[in-house]
Amino acid sequence: MAASADVIPRRPTLLLIVVLSLLFLLMSFSSRTRVVGETRTLFERTVMTILSPVPTAVNWVGTTASDMYHGYLDMRRSVVENALLHRQLARLTAENLKLRQSAADLRRLRSLLSYSDQFSMQTSLAQAIMLDTSGPFKSVIIDRGSGGGVEINDTVVNANGLIGRVVLTTKDMAKVQLMIDNNCSVGALIERTRRQGVVRGNDAGGAQMFDVPALADVQAGDTVLTAGIDGIFPKGIPVGTIVQAQKGQNLFKSITVRPTVDFGNIEEVIVIHTRKIPPEIVRYAP
Amino acid sequence: MRWLRFVVGLLIALTLHSLLDSFYPNALGFFDPYVILVVYYSMGGNILGAIIAGVAAGFVQDAFSLAVFGLHAFSLTVCAYAVAYINSRLVLRGTLFFGACLAGAVIVNELVMYILVNILLRQRIEMFEQEMLVKTVFTTLFGMVVYQLLLLFLREEPIEAVQRPTGW
Repeated sequence: MAASADVIPRRPTLLLIVVLSLLFLLMSFSSRTRVVGETRTLFERTVMTILSPVPTAVNWVGTTASDMYHGYLDMRRSVVENALLHRQLARLTAENLKLRQSAADLRRLRSLLSYSDQFSMQTSLAQAIMLDTSGPFKSVIIDRGSGGGVEINDTVVNANGLIGRVVLTTKDMAKVQLMIDNNCSVGALIERTRRQGVVRGNDAGGAQMFDVPALADVQAGDTVLTAGIDGIFPKGIPVGTIVQAQKGQNLFKSITVRPTVDFGNIEEVIVIHTRKIPPEIVRYAP
Repeated sequence: MRWLRFVVGLLIALTLHSLLDSFYPNALGFFDPYVILVVYYSMGGNILGAIIAGVAAGFVQDAFSLAVFGLHAFSLTVCAYAVAYINSRLVLRGTLFFGACLAGAVIVNELVMYILVNILLRQRIEMFEQEMLVKTVFTTLFGMVVYQLLLLFLREEPIEAVQRPTGW
């Protein structure tokens, strides 16, 4: 054995020639089998089988790392996109709110305009800028005054019905006494029976109808309109609905009226420039 | 121990081969990790060990490439023998000599494969000269970096290099 081990290093060229010859034979065999169709020899397959865990593991590690990297990139992109979408959502929500507000304004203004067309008198639109329904004097201030043609005793309405009358004007503002104020009297009539009376505000935010005879036909649910006999409010404006009609003291009924206007929700109003009766005619007595 | 180190080196070469094959298939045209391993091993001057290393590394490379089985084994054995033979006479050491041996080995390896493919398959390798040049440059540079790193961090001389070869 020692002799053979000693021989090999001393004949390296011979060893090389033997090894290369064997390899050449292997290559010739391998190239021939490839032509026949067998792509791998048994020896080749054995080497592959022994070492296959290495490329498999490398491939797994590489694929996993690649997936993780791409997952991370996707996550980063999602975070940026999420922030962007949040900003976009906030902007669109604000825009949506504005548009909804505009749509509601448009609807309200359209109904107001169509309502103002009913009047033969001159009208103008105004915006309520300050509302006081809690104090003893229930009023609303509007952003149109004498400069806009508003005069004292002009009637103020909205699409739902009567609001009140102008009691004070400045150049660009006017104060309106609400019809639910207990110092405000409105000549009114019951639409169904045409029975006339006077509507006055009460302290509870509603109104009472006075001067209706105890024998008059009055029912809950009857609509009350302005009668046009007080020299201030034009005829036919909805005032309210009767909610209760009882036999009162003396010869008159006690009638409770629920105003058609929601006084907690006044925004745009129509000022009707009514024709005023001169005071001397009012005061004249033959 | 030296064979264990060779096996570890072979597994690293195969890992590199698989990595490049999976993610940058064209890169294998510019870089050959098996030649680096075989030259590194053969620099020790042990001819028998170099021949075995060349055959083993060549078989592994053949098994995971589409070449005729034995082609790389043949060419790497020739390279290993040449490098080991020169080192048994001249005892070349250092990064520059390693680079020179590696560059020569890559060229010999490519030439042997070119001749064998011509003989066995009667095919011509397209753009052989360009590919050989690029592969020589990149493999040599990479191999020199690896050699330098091994010297720096592991104080590693080529396998068997500590033993002075006996006369032939």
